[in-house]
Amino acid sequence: MNDWKKAPVLFGQFFKFGCFTFGGGWSIIAQMQKLYVEQENTMTSEELLDITSVGRSLPGTMIGNVALLYGYHTGGVICGLACLFGMILPPLIILTIITYFYSLVQDNPWVMSAMMGVRAAIVPIIASAAVSLLKSAFRYPLCYALTAMAATLYLAVNMSCVTLVVIGVVCGLLISEYYERKEQKHGTA
Amino acid sequence: MVLLELIWSFTKIGFTSFGGLSMIPLITSEVLSHGWMTASEVSDIVAIAEMTPGPLGLNCATFAGIKAAGIPGAFAANFGVLMPTLTLCLLAAVFFEKFKTNRRMGQIMVGVRPVCVGLIVGVMVSLSMSNYIIESVVSLPAIGIAVLDLVLLLRFKISIPKVILISAALGLIIFH
Repeated sequence: MNDWKKAPVLFGQFFKFGCFTFGGGWSIIAQMQKLYVEQENTMTSEELLDITSVGRSLPGTMIGNVALLYGYHTGGVICGLACLFGMILPPLIILTIITYFYSLVQDNPWVMSAMMGVRAAIVPIIASAAVSLLKSAFRYPLCYALTAMAATLYLAVNMSCVTLVVIGVVCGLLISEYYERKEQKHGTA
Repeated sequence: MVLLELIWSFTKIGFTSFGGLSMIPLITSEVLSHGWMTASEVSDIVAIAEMTPGPLGLNCATFAGIKAAGIPGAFAANFGVLMPTLTLCLLAAVFFEKFKTNRRMGQIMVGVRPVCVGLIVGVMVSLSMSNYIIESVVSLPAIGIAVLDLVLLLRFKISIPKVILISAALGLIIFH
């Protein structure tokens, strides 16, 4: 179960992800999508979406959860921990340095303008991952409605992710039963 | 002793928050009541967390930990925030791998995946509001950078770290 050979490799990969997890960590999903789904083909975009859903709906920081879930999926607990610690180390180091030199960075026009550029990059990065995640999300037509509903409730009434995921669970069971029964009917008729 | 208090405080923060800005009120009350940070330092950390990589919760933990007890404090606070990941999420991982092929689990994911995509769309919209509308004016240069980034990512398959560095350089040139 525990893959000791893979752990250092994963640690290195997540260390690199960790250096560029701007924007609340959503860009780590985009980075994982690029590396594992597109380049290495070690994971389907469906699996990545599943890990993201589970990681997002548990307490704690999402990307910590996602890192652990991915590592565990690949090579057991030891790989889960390797991913987790690889991912959190860069922010920990960078922030430690910044905390000590905060007065230099604070309100520095160079830093501020560079950061405006970085912030502008976050949405396209998430979008690039979303494009390929979209393909695997909709098994039945009704699933599109579910996406629209979740986005609306999240934006309009700030509904918590946990509530939304619970709604997803219920709707998933109902929608699947409905379509599976319909298919069965057609099969026997 | 401070280290144990840090672990305990941030464990509470970790378990009762679901990432992002939802952590702020709890972090504020915990660090203020212990006297680890002042109110103005709390608003500073939100600004810092935005411009450094890593999730807000971990960055706040590092900052508050250092203010309270130096670098060991940072480790203690981070450990606290990660407690739900190390316990609940690990259990979920074991559970999830076991039941992945289960029929009911498959049905559940049919509903959860679209919701997750909906959340990603929601996050993109709310991030767009704060990243492309600067001081309540739509920033055309920021949108320009975003469009360029999208082309680099989708058409030319440029890696994400490179896109971030290019955008930072463009930000320096345009906004400075």
